[in-house]
Amino acid sequence: MKVDARAFALPLALIVMAEIGARAHGPSDSLAPPSAIAAAFLEALSDGSLLIATRDTLASAFAGLLVGGAIGLSLGVALGAVPALNRALEAAIELTRPIPSVALVPIALVALGFGYRLEIAIVAYACVWPLLLLTRAAVAGVEPRLIEVARALRLNPLARVVKIVVPAALPRIFVAFRLAAGVALIVAVTVEIAVNPIGLGAGIMTAGQALRPELMLAYLVWIGLVGFALNALLVLAQQRLFGRAAQVAEAP
Amino acid sequence: MTAETATKELGAARLAGADARRGGAGRDALIEFAGVSLAFAGKTVLDKIDLSIAKGEIVCIVGPSGCGKTTALRLASGLLAPSAGAIAFNGAPLQGPRRDVAIVFQDYGKALLPWRTAAGNVSLALEAAGTPRKARPQRIGALLAKVGLPNHADKYPSQMSGGMQQRLQIARCLAQEPIALMMDEPFGALDAMTRQELQDELLDIAAASGATIFFVTHDLEEAIYLGDRVIGLLPHPGRVGIELKIDLPRPRDQVATREAAQFLRLRRELYDFIKSAER
Amino acid sequence: MRSLRDRLLGVVVLALLVALWQIVANLKLVSPVYLPGPDRAFTALVHGLAASDLGAKLMGTIEHMIEGWLLASIAGIALGALIGASSQARAFIAPTLEFLRPLPASAIIPVAIAVFGLSPAMALGVIAFGAIWPMLLATIHGFAAVEPRLYEVAAALRLSRPAVIFKIALPSALPDILAGLRLGLTVALILAVVCEMIAGLNGLGNWVLLSARMFRSADLFAGVILLGAVGFVGALALNIAERRLLAWRAP
Repeated sequence: MKVDARAFALPLALIVMAEIGARAHGPSDSLAPPSAIAAAFLEALSDGSLLIATRDTLASAFAGLLVGGAIGLSLGVALGAVPALNRALEAAIELTRPIPSVALVPIALVALGFGYRLEIAIVAYACVWPLLLLTRAAVAGVEPRLIEVARALRLNPLARVVKIVVPAALPRIFVAFRLAAGVALIVAVTVEIAVNPIGLGAGIMTAGQALRPELMLAYLVWIGLVGFALNALLVLAQQRLFGRAAQVAEAP
Repeated sequence: MTAETATKELGAARLAGADARRGGAGRDALIEFAGVSLAFAGKTVLDKIDLSIAKGEIVCIVGPSGCGKTTALRLASGLLAPSAGAIAFNGAPLQGPRRDVAIVFQDYGKALLPWRTAAGNVSLALEAAGTPRKARPQRIGALLAKVGLPNHADKYPSQMSGGMQQRLQIARCLAQEPIALMMDEPFGALDAMTRQELQDELLDIAAASGATIFFVTHDLEEAIYLGDRVIGLLPHPGRVGIELKIDLPRPRDQVATREAAQFLRLRRELYDFIKSAER
Repeated sequence: MRSLRDRLLGVVVLALLVALWQIVANLKLVSPVYLPGPDRAFTALVHGLAASDLGAKLMGTIEHMIEGWLLASIAGIALGALIGASSQARAFIAPTLEFLRPLPASAIIPVAIAVFGLSPAMALGVIAFGAIWPMLLATIHGFAAVEPRLYEVAAALRLSRPAVIFKIALPSALPDILAGLRLGLTVALILAVVCEMIAGLNGLGNWVLLSARMFRSADLFAGVILLGAVGFVGALALNIAERRLLAWRAP
């Protein structure tokens, strides 16, 4: 990837302006100069609190992604491969899908209490949808010629799915997985900010309530970096694994 | 006397007649290239082209791929500026595209607004020209009728065949009331029957409006069939290689004209030129 | 288009699933503290709307969602058009936006609280900030992806710059913008709920959280059903708008 030097002009200008502005304004309960943010960041990094919070958030996000992704993937393959099943469940899916994930937080809270399980459950619910919908579309959209080949070879239905359908749909399924990973992180942080006292979301909330804006903004920057790194890593993996096929898959 | 020189002399002898027939458009040049060169990224695409197109004349440009014929058309329409030399339009230097010069692109699918109906696409040119809202529907109806799409005003381009889409693009161009039409392989992507229909309709439009036409094509027969003059370009860098006066009588006829000995002789000459240019 | 038979089948299956839910609840396979039957949830929904302030909560959430979404949409499309119409602006600004995009919008909530306090202004700011990204990026992409030939057509017709934006670029970017509007609405609903939970603002987010704290699972489910309905109606409205506005696309 070619990096244009102009890309860095805006962030640098913003940082410098924030530094000057914050210093001119004097101490504040809500904002802090970038230098103080950097110092708070290093402090949180060295005392380990930032890393523990990152671990908690990522662990919950990944566990939820695995659970929800597995459910979404199996349902997606089943619904994509069996049109009758898809027609039967269409209405139920259309009515369940719009329920926002955070609306389920109170239910999960009552049932599971605070902690990892609450967060994993909500993340899993949110991750089911991208995988279900995109896998279903990918499987239903497999080149008909390939299905004919499978029939000509007299593969049984299971072998047809495992050997032909899933490999053919794999690039698009990986795109779904990548999108779901982004969703997982967002939902994990959101659940932590809303109720759950663990992870980066709780860290940034606590810093805000403790009137430590520099620490709060350090968390914000770090959350942004984690999100960016996760996304970049998955894009890279996608290009490595599927090359051009993945780009084709992203086109609607 | 070789066949080549014979053709040229014959052509010269009949040229005056052709001019008279096309409304006495005569010798006044509408577009003039004087030593026009175009370099792109250090590569010379066109090299010192001299070219004059008279008012009301139909000039067809042919040549092997890479000879810069489309580039020449883009220069003549003001979409590109030359790196050296000068282009005059109606005696004044050409500065960018003009509303009285319409461009018909080859890729009609890309040159139409997919979110507007046929009527809406024609309307775009009227809006650009500032035609009052009230006057538009009647003009649009007349223009669509002129290109043979009177009953398709409410269709979107995606609902039309390639031939219909190209007719629609021509209607939009005619809405500009152009004195010149710049046509870049307009019929290249159409099937043979549609192509011939559109060729004849274009000639009818040209005869009725007296518009000057600058026509780029890779189809040698099309060039001869349509043109008053055919210019063949040589590639690498693009330059004028041959110039043929076409003195076939008008109105032309898809069967009779193409069977005429004259037509076949011109076709042979042009074909030999292209073969040698490609070598 | 779905056939009537398919729709009927879907509804029958849906009814069966609800019946299954009722049976599970009646047999107390899951504690009724967590899982009310559909009968109790429905009663709570009707009672809440008729006799309690569930209706007001519903309106509160819709208001938060729509206000933030509208603000984000107008700002996102306008900014996106400004940035997208100039390749210079794109080179300077787009990378920063791409960097910020994966940032969970909810992470901005503590900052917004620090600046605005636990107020409706905080919610508006957070929702607008979160919902602007899909719109902004989609509009920039739509403007950058306009068919170059159309710009040449515009040049040949000598269209003015505003005419190029309003007649060529914006309609061309419309499919992208509509996708952005749809995603933005989803984000706006989620953030509205989160803000209501945290700041105790009048809305369904607040209602479901309080119901959970008091272990009133029927009220809780009534709130969740309404939130699903809000999401469903919002998506449906945008679907209809999309079908009408994009009728020109090849089938």
